[in-house]
Amino acid sequence: MMAAVLEYVQFVLAPQIVTGLAFGVAVILVAIGLTIIFGLLDVINMSHGEFYAFGAFAALALGSLGLPFWLLLALVPLLMLPLGYFTERVLIQRVFNRKDRHVTTLLLTFGLGLVLEDAFRLAFGPNPYRPDTPIRGAVTLFGVFLPNYRLFLIVVGAAVIAAVALVVYRTRLGAMVRAAAFDRNMAASLGVPVATVYAGAFAFGIALAGFAGVLLAPIYSVFPTMGRDFILMAFTVVIVGGLGSIAGAVVAGLFLTQVQAIASLYISPVWTDPIVFGIMVVMLMVRPRGLFGQLGHG
Amino acid sequence: MKAYQTTVFAALLAATSLTQAQAADPIKIGVVTPLSGTYAGIGQQVRWGLDLAVKEVNAAGGIMGRPVELIYEDEEANPTVAVQKAEKLFEVSKVDFLTGTVSSGSTLAVGQTAERAGKLIATTVSFADSITGDRCSPNVFRVNARAGQQSAALAVWLSKEKPQAKVFYLGPDYEMGRSTVAAFKASAEKVGASTVGEVFAPLDAKDYTQYFGQIRAARPQVLYTSMAGNDTVRLLTQLQEFGLVGNMALVGAAGTVTSQNLAAIGNAAEGFVTGAGYSTQIDTPENKKFLDAFKAAYKADPDLYGTDSYGVIYGYKAAVEKAKSTETDKVREALSGLKWMTPQGEKTIRAGDHQAIQTMYVVRITNGQFKIGGQVSGEDAIGPDTCTRF
Repeated sequence: MMAAVLEYVQFVLAPQIVTGLAFGVAVILVAIGLTIIFGLLDVINMSHGEFYAFGAFAALALGSLGLPFWLLLALVPLLMLPLGYFTERVLIQRVFNRKDRHVTTLLLTFGLGLVLEDAFRLAFGPNPYRPDTPIRGAVTLFGVFLPNYRLFLIVVGAAVIAAVALVVYRTRLGAMVRAAAFDRNMAASLGVPVATVYAGAFAFGIALAGFAGVLLAPIYSVFPTMGRDFILMAFTVVIVGGLGSIAGAVVAGLFLTQVQAIASLYISPVWTDPIVFGIMVVMLMVRPRGLFGQLGHG
Repeated sequence: MKAYQTTVFAALLAATSLTQAQAADPIKIGVVTPLSGTYAGIGQQVRWGLDLAVKEVNAAGGIMGRPVELIYEDEEANPTVAVQKAEKLFEVSKVDFLTGTVSSGSTLAVGQTAERAGKLIATTVSFADSITGDRCSPNVFRVNARAGQQSAALAVWLSKEKPQAKVFYLGPDYEMGRSTVAAFKASAEKVGASTVGEVFAPLDAKDYTQYFGQIRAARPQVLYTSMAGNDTVRLLTQLQEFGLVGNMALVGAAGTVTSQNLAAIGNAAEGFVTGAGYSTQIDTPENKKFLDAFKAAYKADPDLYGTDSYGVIYGYKAAVEKAKSTETDKVREALSGLKWMTPQGEKTIRAGDHQAIQTMYVVRITNGQFKIGGQVSGEDAIGPDTCTRF
């Protein structure tokens, strides 16, 4: 009996949890960028999924020039920093100070997403590309068969998430960001360069999405509409975790993807989406601000 | 005066175009096929097969002295788009005949468009039994082997190599996937196999790993899948990545692994077994001639889609020459019961449901080659005629 249970855990349950974990880490990377941008700028970035796709396409294009995957993992997010910075400065700031900021920025970023998606289609065509898996093979840990690349994704993704949390909650730079999110005018009067912090935070969120794009390209393939598939889940994570909360995005991201992974053992994986969105609806009804507080609070 | 001039001019124009029509007005065949999207690779084979056959037919004097012209439209493997493109070909380009649909959903939808337009279509790719079964149409023909015919051949292999096997089914979640899984399940259970689970994934799913939990939990000896195109590439490489390929026998629909996607799948496809209407290894003079011409033209092997698409042009040619007309009713009459030669051997279109009958092969991938491991005669594979509409 014990042997049968152990065998079930090793052969069925554990691989499913690890698969869910890899997906969860990727979703959290995208969701954190989304939540920082909302928490600080009060902007819902509807083009976030397309920036995730941008990262994947950039890795694809640069990879075809012969650059190794390891370099791309660092280079692509760095290249996306100025892209995000100028997007915020040139486009978002143009409509940022209007009274109906939520509507105008939502429409602006939504339109930007459409433009980017069509640009990918023009440049790369509609068909998916699948880059080679950078790390092949698998290991067996405690009797559980684990593909190397998924393990790598979990470890690297978790490290980046931890680093982001550390910067935001434990450094002077993070304190400035949180101060600007809590009270913009007060922070400005105390010498925080608010405009730079805004553009910098937007660029940082975009770079995280691009990083996730590079990491996930070998698993999910690269194609123009890839941002759409992913962003729904990221938005759900942000809403359940609490708009603007990094801890919330991590907890909700892990929870929701594990719900999906475990439920997929018993029902068709297609039907796990309604469960996840159902949790979001219940959360909105019972506790609209989500599991955790906002970026500037607590 | 001006109006008079215009009338004369128009009359002259009409007269010239009339005389031209009598001389060598081409027979137009519309092709609605996916040139982009997950089935783009299949559309490529369709295009190669049709182009090659039309080149040969035109070089030999065309059909009844008229050259054949192909007009392509991209349907993106999306039935809605397919219907729009088919309507355009019927109403604007005035095609005489239409072929090329890949997705079973597209074939069913375009079949209804053809009925409204009073034209005939033939699919060379779609698998769903319903197309020549309970959703048959007097205007729709199928020259390739449907799910039931493939299953009959695959079940012969199953009963011999994996008797009483526990089978898990994984199909794409639309007409073709549901139909192929149902057809093989029926054939497999008839020869003593048991079903330990079935699950369907959306067409063009990017990550199949979340489906692996149910497969692991069911511990099947055989995994049946009817994914096609790029979907198979992702499914099989991910199965291999997660160490599931060695544990069970992989079998599937004829279109799951073909010459078109084999290279991208790599050795994860080794040992895959299917029941198919074509293999490059068929040892007949007709196939040899076709194979040489295809390779010379495209530097690639034909797969079942390319071969069936090549064959449909010769089938249509035979029917038009028998009917001595391209009129819908006369060609339909000529196609029903038609026998003609293809690289796969002789095919016969059953009059009762418009389904082609042909020899079926058990095909196993060995060292990257589609090795033939057995065959089932056309009569044994075809199954009952369930079409009641005509």
